[in-house]
Amino acid sequence: MAGSDDIALLAKDMSLAFDTGAVLEDFSLEVSAGQKILMTGPSGCGKSTLLKCFLGLAVPKSGSIAVSGQPLTPATVWSLRTRIAYVMQEPDLGRGTVRQIVERPFHYHANAHLLHSVERLNELIDLFGLGIDLLDKNVSKLSGGEKQRIALIVAIMLDRPILLLDEPTSALDAQSRKTLSRYLQSRTNLTALVVTHDTDCFTFADNIVNLKAHVPGEAK
Amino acid sequence: MNIQDIAPWQLASAYLLLILPLAVILWYRVPILGRTALAVLRMTAQLVFVGLYLQVIFELNNLWLNLAWLSVMVLVADVSVARSCGLRLTRIALPLFAALLLGTAAPMLIFTGLILRCESVMDAQYAIPIGGMILGNCLRADIVGIRTFYNSIRTSEKSFHNSLAQGALLQEAVRPFITEACESALAPAVATMATIGLVSLPGMMTGVILGGASPFTAIKYQIAIMIAIFSGTSVTVALGIRLTMRSAFDHYGLLKESIFKDSGN
Repeated sequence: MAGSDDIALLAKDMSLAFDTGAVLEDFSLEVSAGQKILMTGPSGCGKSTLLKCFLGLAVPKSGSIAVSGQPLTPATVWSLRTRIAYVMQEPDLGRGTVRQIVERPFHYHANAHLLHSVERLNELIDLFGLGIDLLDKNVSKLSGGEKQRIALIVAIMLDRPILLLDEPTSALDAQSRKTLSRYLQSRTNLTALVVTHDTDCFTFADNIVNLKAHVPGEAK
Repeated sequence: MNIQDIAPWQLASAYLLLILPLAVILWYRVPILGRTALAVLRMTAQLVFVGLYLQVIFELNNLWLNLAWLSVMVLVADVSVARSCGLRLTRIALPLFAALLLGTAAPMLIFTGLILRCESVMDAQYAIPIGGMILGNCLRADIVGIRTFYNSIRTSEKSFHNSLAQGALLQEAVRPFITEACESALAPAVATMATIGLVSLPGMMTGVILGGASPFTAIKYQIAIMIAIFSGTSVTVALGIRLTMRSAFDHYGLLKESIFKDSGN
């Protein structure tokens, strides 16, 4: 087993519940630094909520969470969020032009030292097959695929050691899927936890975790 | 200053004017007849009560009584804003009260102390009507601003969570929502200032003219009150949001669903 310093993400004896009832029971997960893990499971089993738990955006019914060896608590959550980049399913980027949305996180106090990353914007826009003119477009005019690619670009620019991706290829074309796959493969030190139904895109993954076994009522 | 008093029978004749809206309501079968009758009764009873009460307050002109009356006005506004915003009174009543009190008191004291140079800044004749005008206008703006703020975060939860996930502090994550809320709350006041005197003769100016003052004196009062109202509005909206946030968000920076009346918790 890896030492606590080498464990990037840890969920221990975790249960998740929605208003409709329990969706995930006694779930534990250990992701070592640098690992690329895929997570699959039936719809509504709590995959997206599980990712949110690592960011303190959802609170598990029971169990504990740790990020980079530190337990996630109200006191640590603000600093631990700066170790993770997250791309949500069907991202809502907020209001404004694409350029404003892309640059906004770099004006946050926690990311001020990353302002130079904005210089990579043109290169990443090109890498994901988007045009530079897109930067002056209002985000409300973007397609689902464009929003997803912009969210991925911001996540990459934030340069965090851990990346959480929620169905990142759901609106991507074949070329962009390849680009994302290559990027993840090339970043050997990057820890990635990817919720996906598209396992073929990430053949290099170290492990595939199926949540089905932890869903009450599902076959074990 | 002299003003023509209205005898009770003359006032009664004013009620005759109600024939016109009643005719419209009955003719078009607008389903607000009961509510209209109740509203007219309430308006009459409330204003008679306020008239009698203010008469006593003006005669006594006691600092503590004046402060108590203004506090009651703020408390009523507090409850009204919380209810109209769809938020739980128990969660936000206290911070909202503080915001309304500070946001109303500051421009009111500047008005009575610096602009009118009253001997006592809490002189009942000035402090109560001016405080009431500022508060009354703050009330509408605060309802719009605070409701917009909390509803926007609720409906744009993904965008808000995205900001938190990107490392934003709570103050940074809510900033676009505060901007939107302030714009919604202040836009009507800005529009009113831009058109005042052209579209309608404003309330305070009318009152001062009816009191026997020259129109030029009246416009000076009106300009001062417009600025005081705008100042009070902006302070109470911004402060109302900032102070209520303490009880509306948890330690993870997440909006507590229980703050909404319709949350069912």
